[in-house]
Amino acid sequence: MTTLSFQGIRKTFGPTVALENLHLDVRDGELIALLGPSGCGKTTALRIAAGFEFADTGAVQVGGTDISRTPAHKRNMGMVFQSYSLFPNLTVASNIDFGLRTRKIDKTERHRRVSEALELVQLTGMANRYPHQLSGGQQQRVALARALAVEPQVLLLDEPLSALDAKVRLTLRDEIRRIQTELGITTLFVTHDQEEALGISDRIGVMSNGRLEQLGTPTEVYRNPANAFVARFVGSMNEIPATVAGPGAVQVNGHTVATTTTDQSAGTAVTLLVRPEDLALASDAAGLPGTVTATTFQGATTVVTVRLDVLDSLVAVSTAGSHDANRAAGDRVGVHIDGTRALCESVG
Amino acid sequence: MAVVSIDIIDPRLAGGDTAPPAPVGGPVGRRRWIGRIVPTLVLLLCAAFFIAPLLTLARYALQNVPTILLGWDTLFKKWSLKGLTLAFEDPAFWPALKLSLQLAVGTVLITLLLLVPTAIWVHLRVPKARSFIEFLTVLPYMIPPIALVAGIFVIKPYAKWFLNSDYSLIPFYVVLALPFTFRSIDAGLRAIDLRTLVDASRSLGGGWGTTLRRVLIPNLRTSMISASFLTAAVVIGEFTIADTLLKETLPRFQATFTGREPQAGYGLNLLALLVTIVLFVVLSLLTRPRKTPRRPFVPAATSAAVAAEKH
Repeated sequence: MTTLSFQGIRKTFGPTVALENLHLDVRDGELIALLGPSGCGKTTALRIAAGFEFADTGAVQVGGTDISRTPAHKRNMGMVFQSYSLFPNLTVASNIDFGLRTRKIDKTERHRRVSEALELVQLTGMANRYPHQLSGGQQQRVALARALAVEPQVLLLDEPLSALDAKVRLTLRDEIRRIQTELGITTLFVTHDQEEALGISDRIGVMSNGRLEQLGTPTEVYRNPANAFVARFVGSMNEIPATVAGPGAVQVNGHTVATTTTDQSAGTAVTLLVRPEDLALASDAAGLPGTVTATTFQGATTVVTVRLDVLDSLVAVSTAGSHDANRAAGDRVGVHIDGTRALCESVG
Repeated sequence: MAVVSIDIIDPRLAGGDTAPPAPVGGPVGRRRWIGRIVPTLVLLLCAAFFIAPLLTLARYALQNVPTILLGWDTLFKKWSLKGLTLAFEDPAFWPALKLSLQLAVGTVLITLLLLVPTAIWVHLRVPKARSFIEFLTVLPYMIPPIALVAGIFVIKPYAKWFLNSDYSLIPFYVVLALPFTFRSIDAGLRAIDLRTLVDASRSLGGGWGTTLRRVLIPNLRTSMISASFLTAAVVIGEFTIADTLLKETLPRFQATFTGREPQAGYGLNLLALLVTIVLFVVLSLLTRPRKTPRRPFVPAATSAAVAAEKH
């Protein structure tokens, strides 16, 4: 059984704290995505797992063994990098063979594993090509094959899709997930793309300023964000000024909205954080009145942007109804708020 | 409703057969013709600028006609290779050539051994110091060799044991070649994603030795070969320090030999130039990127493929 565990990791670069008391357990065969904005510490965590950086305090364990001070080349990790990291002087087959040669595996076994890895990423016909003769997507698939050929305990993926165009990114994302599930390999995936994280992972760790803000399944993180940062960072979020009316209720321009997450005292000015799908459109007699400013068709849903009259703020309403999809700019509407999943953030 | 009209200038954009072909003598055709002829003309002028002195040097060295009589009417008279070969008959030539080649090899080896790891270390660990190191390496370019020679005189009484050896020139030549070699290696390092390649190699189990041998050196091959040739060129052409330390190197031999046999001396210079040109041609051939592997990989029939075949 292979688990990856970060135990109280702290890492600083000069005066900058890159990681602060990071506790994270990646279970056997699980894929965890570390999600966060640039500079939040997610790549540092990955580099500490890989052995390229050492933590100031805390420990990293793989399968219960402390590897905190083990140099990178002695850890059994497979890593795929953001930039194309194939060795330009070696062919696809030799790139995949590289890790096997450093492990002094015999020639027949190496040949078998390279063939298998090529087949796994469906690039058998490209074995004798050089990296400059491959597309970006193909290069990343070779990098994945190279990382997997050594049969690593843990697979580390450092934004492997960010250099690719949208269509290839989607295909390769699915392919990574397929291979990861097929091999049951413990995987840590770093990304700043929330859609990517939601689509690929068993659990997501949302990071900010070197701290792990929330760890949970994609549904948990999206539906029940632990705090305002997570709510804002994962998915779209409307921010509506409100006042706490009492326990479990806020007032938005005279309309009372029931909410389960408020613990502030009555009269406190708060910002109500509501997902677009928790808002609904009605005639302007009911709900908060406003004017449609734009309608964006997104396939299964339509996002209607409304300027609220009194608050003079824009809100996005996600709707699956065909009637709402036909709203045009200038239409008068009323906006209903379902506050049961909303977050209340104190102002100031 | 406003009507927007678009004038199609390029006939290829018009599509189909409706677009008339651009007239040959029209402004577009003329511009293309000028675009082709001007670079060719510049190239020919540059070639003439470099080749003309070589041709006159060759004529002076290889034609047994007194200089005063050189003219169009004597263009094809009394050509001989003696001007090229006379130096080979001089007993001092071969030892001088041997010493210069030994110094070149030694300087190249020490330069690469010192500079490649240093440049890699600077790029990986102290990238901010790169500009300072670059400045240091340019110093020998700014300070004339004669200043270095003055320095040698200061230490001469204390380092006779070292300066008596012919190979004592190597450290000086390493310093003299620094502006060329560091730049070449630095450019090579900047052309690759060094950090990622090193990290990738280490994540695959490669220690520093393996990373250097199998990843970095092969990818720095072009810049290392360039650095080596430039270093060799500096060593084989250096006169001032060798003369000060009384070492019988090729440039020193050339200087004394040209004094004795001017025509053959220039013949030797011409030969040296030709050898350099051949070396640079070899360099460009050696550094061509490979398109096909030396030993192609033939994928094995994997268990999945075998199973699929059985079905």
